[in-house]
Amino acid sequence: MGLKQERWVGLFSLLPAFLLLAVFVGYPMFNTFFHSFTEWDGVTSTYVGWDNFKTILSNGDLPLMLRNNLIFLLSVPGILFISLTVSVLLHEEVPGWRLFRSVYYLPAILSSVVIGFLAKSMFTNKGIVNTLLENAGLGAFTTDWLNTVPTEFMILILCFYWQTLGQGTLIFLSGLSSISNELFDAAKIDGANWRQRLMYIVIPSLYPAIFYFTIVNVIYVFVGLFGLVYSITGGGPGYETTPIDYMIYIQAFRSGNMGYASALSVFLFFIVMFITWIQLKISKRLEQ
Amino acid sequence: MKTASRRMIRFLIFIVLAVIAFMAMYPLFYMAISSMKPTIEYIKHPMGLPKTWYFDNFIALIYRFSLVRLFGNTLVYVGLSLVASLALSIPAAYAFAKLKFKYRNGFYIIMIATMTIPGITFIIPNYLLMSKIGWTDHIISVVTIWSVSAIPSTVFLLTSLMRAMPDEVLEAIKIDGAKYHQAMFKVILPMSLPGVVTVSIFNATNWWNDLLTPLIYLQSDGLKTVTVAVATVLNRFSSDYPLLLSGLLLASLPPIAIYIIFQSYIRKGLVIGAVK
Repeated sequence: MGLKQERWVGLFSLLPAFLLLAVFVGYPMFNTFFHSFTEWDGVTSTYVGWDNFKTILSNGDLPLMLRNNLIFLLSVPGILFISLTVSVLLHEEVPGWRLFRSVYYLPAILSSVVIGFLAKSMFTNKGIVNTLLENAGLGAFTTDWLNTVPTEFMILILCFYWQTLGQGTLIFLSGLSSISNELFDAAKIDGANWRQRLMYIVIPSLYPAIFYFTIVNVIYVFVGLFGLVYSITGGGPGYETTPIDYMIYIQAFRSGNMGYASALSVFLFFIVMFITWIQLKISKRLEQ
Repeated sequence: MKTASRRMIRFLIFIVLAVIAFMAMYPLFYMAISSMKPTIEYIKHPMGLPKTWYFDNFIALIYRFSLVRLFGNTLVYVGLSLVASLALSIPAAYAFAKLKFKYRNGFYIIMIATMTIPGITFIIPNYLLMSKIGWTDHIISVVTIWSVSAIPSTVFLLTSLMRAMPDEVLEAIKIDGAKYHQAMFKVILPMSLPGVVTVSIFNATNWWNDLLTPLIYLQSDGLKTVTVAVATVLNRFSSDYPLLLSGLLLASLPPIAIYIIFQSYIRKGLVIGAVK
């Protein structure tokens, strides 16, 4: 294959993929940007300037949605800590660790719909959680889990953790296994104890993995919670457990406010771009 | 003395890990057990094994909710999307990894940037586009959206794997004057098969589990996927938890089977992004 020919083969290999991406990602994205400045029911749209954005800022939905997203965001360090601890323990390679590793990842392969409805069925009023509490003599702690906002968030976050533990464990384990044994032996000879080895060798060499895991899950809590929210709370009561991505679905496909939903999409788009920008900044620093 | 305390610590670690494993698995046991109870027994005794094993929930799913059809639908959609996404992504990934041409890096950056755009930001215009050309409530809408939106991540993963292919082999086929499609089918595809399997596993399970796309594009009950049918049709009988749970169980079986068979691929695929 000559150089000139190679150039054409290269460009033609890209053509179908880029053509379809342009039609089904590029065009709709610009369309969303355009319609965020309109009132739009899907058929006719009228230009309204910044009205949608003004409504988002003034109708009280935004603080609520941001609060909901913030609650999920604040739950990310928790699962980071749990996954790190579990992988450090797994790395001790006690009997059965391979089986445990497989078991931890199993919930991650299931649909959010399965996870969500399963959790919902366990937390109903006469469900297994309340029954267990009563049988354990903890009847005072039984509550209507699915009907108060704090417990609803607790269930959503529990499901998020349940889905994510396996992913974190696998990522951190692969990071741990790449630490050289010489480094460990040298530290042992120098008299470093287990805690010091953890703080000065293990954690620092896991920085890239920790960073990757955090970014992936920070983005996930903004764009990936649809299935869990749909199946557990449906965003309610009111919009009390509705994050931004679920609100876009409600506004566009239940209420028909497509212009408003477009403006929300633009908003979410910039949030995700901002997170990605931070990711690029930090990963450049990590490389140095 | 030292080994004794070390043993003790290792035993404690084992206990902690076992407890976490139990907690991770228990809801799945609960789902399986409850799906084999009649509703009344489930309400009275949510814990414990069923008194008699009861399969009417599954029979109801097959006859009343045409489960076989739902499984068939989902398999067809996922299968077609796999073929389409690979046919679009493999040539692009090979070009990015091994061919030299102008603007290659520019195109690659655009492709990777596309990966970060959240899917929900373009779902409204796509829905209207699909309904304008009459593709809504037809499998083509779901297959198109699934396979096209999987292109960037598929290309990213395949490109980073194909870069590791030895150049000597590729040079040899160039000198041989092998035509592009011969090189593709005889050398490049076989050599990148592990990567193709890995990425296909991730795509297939993601699509099988997807709620949003089929929920929005398909309205007829006869076209629904298993996951959407469980979330919408079965949820209408929301007081009948054993029925819902047996639907959830059946919807989970294919991903679980894939996981058991292809565990090692999943483990490798998951860390590609992390180690980079």
